[in-house]
Amino acid sequence: MNKPYMGKILMVDLSNRTMTEEEIPDRVYEQYLSGMGLGAYILYNRMPAGADPLGPDNILGFCSGFLTGTGSLFSGRWTLVGKSPLTGCWGDANCGGTFSPAIKHCGYDAIFFKGISSGPVYLYVKNGKASLKDAADLWGRDAVETEEALKKQYGPKAAVAVIGPAGEKVSLISGVCSDKGRIAARSGLGAVMGVKKLKAVVLDGVQRIGAHDPAEMKRLSRHCLKWVNFPLPLPGWMLGFVGAFLRVTPIVFPQDGILYTSILRKWGTGGMNQTSIEMGDSPLKNWDGSNRDFPMSRSRTINPDIVRRMEIVKYHCYSCPVGCGGICAAKGKYPHTHKPEYESVLALGGLCMNEDLDSIFYLNELLNRAGMDTISAGATAAFAVECYEKGILTKEDTGGLELKWGNTEAMVALIRKMVDREGIGDLLADGTKIAAQKIGKGSEAFTVHAGGQEPAMHDGRCDPGFNVHYSLEPTPGRHTLGAHLYYEMFQLWKLVKGIPKPAPLFTKNSKFRIDGEKAQMAAVCSKFMSLANGAGMCMFGLFIGAKRVPTFGWLNAATGWRLTPEDYMTVGERIQTLKQAFNVKHGIEPRNNFISGRALGHPPQKRGANQGRSVDIEKLAPGYWEQFGWDTATGKPKEETLRKLGIQ
Amino acid sequence: MAYTITEKCNGCGACARLCPAGAISGEKKKLHTIDAKLCIECGACGRVCPQSALLDAAGGLCAMTKRSEWPKPDVLLKACIACAICVDACPVGCLAMSDVPRDKGVDAFPYLKDSKACIGCGFCSKACPADALVMKKPSPVQKPAAAA
Repeated sequence: MNKPYMGKILMVDLSNRTMTEEEIPDRVYEQYLSGMGLGAYILYNRMPAGADPLGPDNILGFCSGFLTGTGSLFSGRWTLVGKSPLTGCWGDANCGGTFSPAIKHCGYDAIFFKGISSGPVYLYVKNGKASLKDAADLWGRDAVETEEALKKQYGPKAAVAVIGPAGEKVSLISGVCSDKGRIAARSGLGAVMGVKKLKAVVLDGVQRIGAHDPAEMKRLSRHCLKWVNFPLPLPGWMLGFVGAFLRVTPIVFPQDGILYTSILRKWGTGGMNQTSIEMGDSPLKNWDGSNRDFPMSRSRTINPDIVRRMEIVKYHCYSCPVGCGGICAAKGKYPHTHKPEYESVLALGGLCMNEDLDSIFYLNELLNRAGMDTISAGATAAFAVECYEKGILTKEDTGGLELKWGNTEAMVALIRKMVDREGIGDLLADGTKIAAQKIGKGSEAFTVHAGGQEPAMHDGRCDPGFNVHYSLEPTPGRHTLGAHLYYEMFQLWKLVKGIPKPAPLFTKNSKFRIDGEKAQMAAVCSKFMSLANGAGMCMFGLFIGAKRVPTFGWLNAATGWRLTPEDYMTVGERIQTLKQAFNVKHGIEPRNNFISGRALGHPPQKRGANQGRSVDIEKLAPGYWEQFGWDTATGKPKEETLRKLGIQ
Repeated sequence: MAYTITEKCNGCGACARLCPAGAISGEKKKLHTIDAKLCIECGACGRVCPQSALLDAAGGLCAMTKRSEWPKPDVLLKACIACAICVDACPVGCLAMSDVPRDKGVDAFPYLKDSKACIGCGFCSKACPADALVMKKPSPVQKPAAAA
């Protein structure tokens, strides 16, 4: 009762329908926490080298956060882990909502699935008893309908994670949904669940989650709450101008994440829609355009104030006092929908040159129900449009769709085809890299991916840190692991010794200078986010600053350990290195994951916010790898590094 | 530690029916037992047992109380941060987040959706990081005048 972890995992073999409870030694939690760390530990040790991501040897894990349920805040994220069929690398995706505590309430820190079921099944866990049940009547139904049907049967307290038709049809850009529209979307792990014929995981437990010192946990949470409700005297119409100012100013200061939290609290992630476009953070027109192609006159339809008008009530994930989500009323087929996130709005909007907000609401809900990643789906649609505009795809290929920039109707029809895997949609449903391989004719030049995964809507030509993490992380193409901006907001230098503190004012161009400090900053972000994903912490909470959101303090109070921030950074380093070792074990060459030239600014853009900028990832990579003790030429962890971190 | 049932148990089954963790088992009219691995120490069994046959985790005898007098959560909206920790902490699922906003702003708020299901365990109140939930004995409801 006084430990924050349950000390057990459930291993389900779908091939022979057996379920085994396993106790995990305390030492593993001390080294890796749970969440992504425990997932990496199990997958690294148990998955045979070279396992087919879509075969029976792939292991899919649903891992709850280490701090979930301990009285800490921002700690409600669960991590889905597996070998990604999209990239062939380590794959993870995380999601908020209510699923993370539900795993622990069932008495487990994580539930893993291996093998392949002969027919559709779902896992049901209640009062310490797990069973596999037939899901033939649920197969083919969308994620929201399935969740509603399961909650009707098992009661509203049951937490459900489910795949939609995209996962069932093994789309490599599909994810796993929970809470009627939250989705662990990245890395294509929905396809792994689909191929295993596992439709859903239904958890209905009441086991309590402990903490070593509940009073101290509460004290730290109360301290943290002081920093959440920080009113922002900024009207929505000004946000585009803030972006424009950030574009033109040559000198900037380290940003305090508390401003960002205020934006999140007021508008959600969509608060950055126009600001990002104007400052050059959002890629536009399949990464080939700039803010000049999508000026404020076009982007005003996605101004956060307009999106906010549709919001009925805010939606908070478990243990989050900010509440960046929202439930909206929308026009058309789906009257209620989750408020589209920044990533979804920009991927389905700016990247495809689409300013029709109604279509974005519709597509967001369509993709959430289908269980398809909005980032990858938008990026693939934008790629298809460019192929059509350049004459590589014809009207015959598209089934009569006129895929021109800004043709909303055609884009909506295209994404519907992708969800249904119908006609050209079948070709595009596995992301841009595979689509380009099938189309040929030089279409590879229009793809933007890192190791096969489409990067998120943050341009590494605006913040070069994004390009470092898109290219060098064990999970390529992920934006939630680090950036120059994230480093500023985490404010880790206030707690961790020996890491650089940004100057009070610096030029924007200095961010592009390649030096040891940048490599150190990127490595610190990776270590900290690996730790945070093990703890189940939300990145948006961490933006408030390491001193105000006491992750290290919560970890010590929850466990009774007396570790220093530096010790915890070593835990993050160990998780990160284990993921990289996983990739190496499976034959991945880290150099092959570098992001496409277009996103690196090769050739540089001729106009707009990121005009003339390029990032030399070849020069940046060795410095980053060196920070972890990985080989500076190949990016593979050295023997001595693995030994030092205790990885066998 | 967990709750335990003493020899005084007459096997009426009231506790087993109420236990949210499914931890109590036993045949009708025979001594019931509690599975210590499943018990979450909510105390519902102790409050409902007419035989006073329940000992709490510390070994103290539990006293039966009328269900109408069991404490229920009262939400202090001003302090509530809408983090939904209380909703998750409730073992019977009687709390829910509203699907309409509060008077001011757009935040949802927790409310006692199914007050009959509440077992008065107080887990919601203990878990609340903002001390926005207090357990209160329900005020006696005035009986409506009998229809003529």
